[in-house]
Amino acid sequence: MVLCSGNPAEEAGILDFASDIRPILSDKCFACHGPDSNKRKAGLRLDDRSAVFSHQSDGKPLINPEKPSSSSLLDRVLSKDPDLQMPPPEANKELSAAETQKLITWIRQGASWGEHWAFEPISKTNPPSDPSFSEVTAPIDAFIRSRLSKEGLSPSQRATSDVLIRRLALDLTGLPPDRAEVEAFRSNPSAENYERFVDKYLESQRYGEHMARYWLDAARYGDTHGLHLDNYREMWPYRDWVVRAFNENKPFDEFIVEQLAGDLLPDPTQDQLVATGFNRCHVTTGEGGSIKEEVYVRNVIDRVVTTGTVFMGLTFECTRCHDHKFDPLTMTDFYSMFAFFNNLDGPAMDGNRKDHAPVIKVPSDEENNILRNLSSQITRLESRLKGDWNEIDRAQKAWEEELERQSLATANGKAPLSMSNWHHIGPFNDAERYLRKNRQHGPEGKPVDLAAELKTTNGEIRKWKERADYQDGKIHNDLPGETVANFLYRTIESPRSMALNVSLGSGDGLKVFLNGKEIHNNVTIREVDADQEQVTLELVKGTNEILVKILNFGGKSGFYFKSDSEVLLLPKPIYATLFKADGSSEEKDVSSLRDYYRNQISDNDELRRTIGELKQRREEHAELDRRIPTTMVWRERKEPREAFILNRGEYDQKGETVSAATPGILPQFPADYPRNRLGLAQWLTSSDHPLTARVTVNRFWQQIFGLGLVKTAEDFGSQGTPPTHPELLDWLSYRFIQEGWNVKRLMKKMVMSATYQQTAKVTETLLEIDPANRLLARGVRLRLDAETLRDQALMLGGLLNGKIGGPGVKPPQPDGLWFAVGFSGSDTVRFKADQGSSKVHRRTLYTFLKRTSPPPQMSTFDAPPRESCTVRRERTNTPMQALLLMNDPQYVEAAKGLAILCFKESSGEPRDVAKLMLERCTGREAGDKEVEELVAIFESEASHYRDHPKNADALVGIGESRPLSEPISSDALAAWIVVANMVLNLDEVIMKN
Amino acid sequence: MNPLQLEYKALTRRHFFGQGALGLGSAALSSLLAGKTTASSPAGSLGMLGAPHFAPKAKRAIYLFMAGAPSQLDLFDHKPKTQAYFDQDLPESVRMGQRLTTMTSGQKRFPIATSKFHFQNFGQSGATVSELLPYTARMVDDLAIVKTVHTEAINHDPAITYICTGNQLPGRASLGSWLSYGLGSLNEDLPTFVVMTPTWSGRKGAQALYNRLWGSGFLPSKHSGISLRSSGDPVLYLTNPPGIDASQRRRMLDTLGRLNQRTLDRFGDPDTQTRIDQYEMAFRMQSSVPELTEIQSESKSTLSLYGPDVEKPGTFAHSCLLARRMLERNVRFVQLFHRGWDQHGNIANELPGQCRDIDQPSWALVQDLKARGMLDDTLVVWGGEFGRTVYCQGKLTRDNYGRDHHPRCFTVWMAGGGIKPGVVYGETDDFSYNIVRDPVHIHDMNATILKCLGIDHRRMSFKFRGLDMRLTGVEDHHPVSGILA
Repeated sequence: MVLCSGNPAEEAGILDFASDIRPILSDKCFACHGPDSNKRKAGLRLDDRSAVFSHQSDGKPLINPEKPSSSSLLDRVLSKDPDLQMPPPEANKELSAAETQKLITWIRQGASWGEHWAFEPISKTNPPSDPSFSEVTAPIDAFIRSRLSKEGLSPSQRATSDVLIRRLALDLTGLPPDRAEVEAFRSNPSAENYERFVDKYLESQRYGEHMARYWLDAARYGDTHGLHLDNYREMWPYRDWVVRAFNENKPFDEFIVEQLAGDLLPDPTQDQLVATGFNRCHVTTGEGGSIKEEVYVRNVIDRVVTTGTVFMGLTFECTRCHDHKFDPLTMTDFYSMFAFFNNLDGPAMDGNRKDHAPVIKVPSDEENNILRNLSSQITRLESRLKGDWNEIDRAQKAWEEELERQSLATANGKAPLSMSNWHHIGPFNDAERYLRKNRQHGPEGKPVDLAAELKTTNGEIRKWKERADYQDGKIHNDLPGETVANFLYRTIESPRSMALNVSLGSGDGLKVFLNGKEIHNNVTIREVDADQEQVTLELVKGTNEILVKILNFGGKSGFYFKSDSEVLLLPKPIYATLFKADGSSEEKDVSSLRDYYRNQISDNDELRRTIGELKQRREEHAELDRRIPTTMVWRERKEPREAFILNRGEYDQKGETVSAATPGILPQFPADYPRNRLGLAQWLTSSDHPLTARVTVNRFWQQIFGLGLVKTAEDFGSQGTPPTHPELLDWLSYRFIQEGWNVKRLMKKMVMSATYQQTAKVTETLLEIDPANRLLARGVRLRLDAETLRDQALMLGGLLNGKIGGPGVKPPQPDGLWFAVGFSGSDTVRFKADQGSSKVHRRTLYTFLKRTSPPPQMSTFDAPPRESCTVRRERTNTPMQALLLMNDPQYVEAAKGLAILCFKESSGEPRDVAKLMLERCTGREAGDKEVEELVAIFESEASHYRDHPKNADALVGIGESRPLSEPISSDALAAWIVVANMVLNLDEVIMKN
Repeated sequence: MNPLQLEYKALTRRHFFGQGALGLGSAALSSLLAGKTTASSPAGSLGMLGAPHFAPKAKRAIYLFMAGAPSQLDLFDHKPKTQAYFDQDLPESVRMGQRLTTMTSGQKRFPIATSKFHFQNFGQSGATVSELLPYTARMVDDLAIVKTVHTEAINHDPAITYICTGNQLPGRASLGSWLSYGLGSLNEDLPTFVVMTPTWSGRKGAQALYNRLWGSGFLPSKHSGISLRSSGDPVLYLTNPPGIDASQRRRMLDTLGRLNQRTLDRFGDPDTQTRIDQYEMAFRMQSSVPELTEIQSESKSTLSLYGPDVEKPGTFAHSCLLARRMLERNVRFVQLFHRGWDQHGNIANELPGQCRDIDQPSWALVQDLKARGMLDDTLVVWGGEFGRTVYCQGKLTRDNYGRDHHPRCFTVWMAGGGIKPGVVYGETDDFSYNIVRDPVHIHDMNATILKCLGIDHRRMSFKFRGLDMRLTGVEDHHPVSGILA
């Protein structure tokens, strides 16, 4: 127990304030006698040196180092009187005997005091030197050895080459080594050769994928919004950016700056904008009825809390409602940090859209080339279309004259009519989240006023917009919203009353109003198409108003309109130019008349071909542009929003105004830094910041050694555990900064240490003294993480597809998991597994992550649902894990692959197959006894399958089918699959040893 | 030392001091399915509390969760005075400017919608229950009906997350995972905390559920609820792959155990011993779970108790019967999430079906537990995430109307171990809008549930991000003594 406290000196002698006393005061006393002035009792604070040593109570000093027995603190903690006793019984914070003893000893020893270690500057420590461990070369080992020798412990031997190379490959790439690597290292396990492998793995593209997944836990990356509908969110370009950043070994300070403030850098690159997705990864909602301001505030709070945890190891969350009870952080600090993240130029609600604004499009280089090419073709065709076509101009003249003749003869009914462009307003929803077909919406039932602003049921404002692009005779399938109504409006001027036949189409239902009267109603469910309905418009003389209502009950929505009459409907400006301008028309009108004629009327073949080609290119451009992925980014509002202290953390309880500032306890924000996210990022990554480097280095340490030097990687405050090796943490952090925040170099330092390379074999004594291996007198033995387990199985089965990046993929999972919880209208309510190895056998990093129902292959093995920032995973060991590893079809498929590979690559003799299988999976040479065990079970199962051939076929048929060229009988293969399934379930395979 | 380290030590001790054999149980008891409570079992089989804070009245519990928020005004909280106000605006003196969801905040009027359903007093307690719940009405003297539960959250996602995990934001531990963590398990063949998501008869466009509602948040993930599914494997990956039968699995596990024993000898890692045992536990689950779901062994009279839907897998009735079978096998906590209660409109046509789904089965569950002598030490809870407004959302007629979300009061009932039967607790105003007497915050309600199970809600905590996290938050909350036996 001594060892767990983090300080070895406890019984030996001098207590250390930081690791022995402050944690007691923090845990047992600060809640009432700490930084939070509102909750402070008896005016006493125990987190502040001057307050502690000047305080008098019960007529004596609180702490009297000269005369320990006359310290009122001791009277109180030793008292049995419930009225005097501290902590009071009702606080449920009773001091243990050991803790009380520590307080006594500490005062006797002079009551030394120090500020909380994590807020002190990072010190430039040197590795301890001790002649007794002269063979130590890596500084890390000197720190570890120094502590071990104080405890009377010695380090363990180096692990065997097989164990070591597997451990190294898993830690740096998340995949086991292949057999060639194992053999190459086995034949030369020298330090030099080891280093060559370290370098090789650090350069592998697999390294970035492996490192990224830890960061994505912290960044709370997911493929859905996480709340309410939990719809798809297109965000994977950010995930791929993280992979690239690690592979390129982007200095970690730049990594931070680009994610917090890439958009504020001068001329940001596309990548730097993608990086700002970090602050957009939090869960969002589009729940109807939500109060926008409340949602908005929640989003900002998540950013503040995540920033605190990920970069500073501070529990900002506590200060949302009150001053921190344990750390010197105030509510003002919280809302001053809030002010940095308060200016996102986009809506609070996600609208259930995959591209919740602001977003950018992220074309690949190839896509950019194609787009550029298409654009230049389009420009060329456009200018050709506007160029000289004498023949056509002559035809136009004749056409104009003919029209003029017709317009004079109004009685014959062929006079052209003038019509406006379409105007659109919408979408309008109903409060019930589905659309009532007979309810009036938006502009229905009243005269249309194009200047009017109309409200939706949830209070959003809709305005009319002119849509010149909604041309007649074309299907427009892009009306906004689902389960909503949209409206289109236009006017037609008629010189007399007449009937005009028109064709319409709609997806879904359709209503047509002429001059305020409903003249057509077909509420149906269908996709829009041309000419679905024929309607006669009985036009009156003068202005006629046409209002079309399109009801959408789900999916895409659109409309279609075309005149069926011989009467030509001319757009208003064209009509005006033709009939009102009597030769004096301005140049612009002439040109638009010419455009109109060429585009709509002329039947010149060459012109039509040019128009056709232009249309084609435009469609190609639009289609490619539509397919280009988007990713959510940060864009700053032009006008910053005011930030307030929110009383009790409530969105509607605004207190005093605050401006962007960093917590007072931390280094001052330099005056020449901009007071925005960029300044914040620069401040975080400045070399005198006590937390950023420590917190970062600690997380990487945790990744390699299982536990951080500070075990509570998420909390470096008073309530966190103090570091086991504070000097080592400072040494690593200091060097990390000095060496340019070089992550690969840091990783290399750790895996090159002898500490890392020790065997994980544990003795009874060591287990008793240091069960959690915090002192590292032995190597680390841990269950592999969810992703690594699955990736390893796929690789051992020869199935792994190495493609890097791209949209999330959906390998099979049991039916109904999404449906059991999903909102019926969600676009992720039904899971449909992908097919084909290029989708289902990708690394688990790329598995689609629906946050309200994460893949069981992840959650069963402690992967977080990514709903909130997580910097430390649990490692549990449960029967659900056993069931999954034994029975999940993908793991069985991996077993099948493994069986086939081992059969193919060996002589096929049972002993050889068994030996290869064991060696392939454990990465070490197989012993005779083990091989015999495998052969025995192979034989019993093969005999079973000879008696049950149908069962053999069933097992062999699992997974993506692959033709089997090997001369192996179905019963033998089935038996090997059972054996392979068992080998993949070996403790040794599930663990990093 | 924190509790996890203690557990770890217990584990290592057991391994090295005598119980490391290959037998069933032993070290694995400390894990997911952990724990016999017999005197001879090792300490690690208990939850982290070691022993309950008080003598528990209930050993196990079942929570019938009505997701979407049932209308208290149409089921329990009878407001005859609203008759006089039909189609009149809710007086401002009642609403007092309180916030509304943006689904109705834009409405020009807030007309009172009197319940169209008939209410009557029942039992000794005289509790009012509407005609939609005839079976529930018959058992009011078994229930404590609390009319004054309230919350701050006004939308589904935050509200249901709040009541199930104690916080509106994702990331906290659910009630069931707290119970698993604090109390451990009562059996060694079945999960500690089981969740079911039965079908419902209302509109299919129902509110979503989220795995976080039964997740473990910051607690170790082994405390998460396990979904018992009505189609496919009842528990994920329970069934052997096609072509592998139980006898083969047994042979494979025997060999696996021997090989893992070699690994244990080689590295001495107690985790290996735990793994050996977890595989054995998994094997036992492969027979105990299917046995659990075979309801054919139930008597005819029991089956008929639960009503006509009982034989249809996935229905609420079927789930209730399965729940009783689990409780009987000492599953600590079962939670059913029945969806479809979000009646913003069309109450007349949707609410009766929703009620039919749950009314008889809920009653049957209580009767069945009682008949088996289990109601005394089993807590039953029924309720949703908030209530609904007295004013109408959308079109109001005498025959049909809708109601928006209302967090200021709603009705929950409890029965069984630790609960005083035949109580109607709390009172709302004439509009079921504000609480007049005895408010019960959802934290108070969760504190009450914990109390029945022997836990002092203030003393069950887990250190996370520097805070002592509790299910019931940091503010002062109390079990509701008025409904405790």
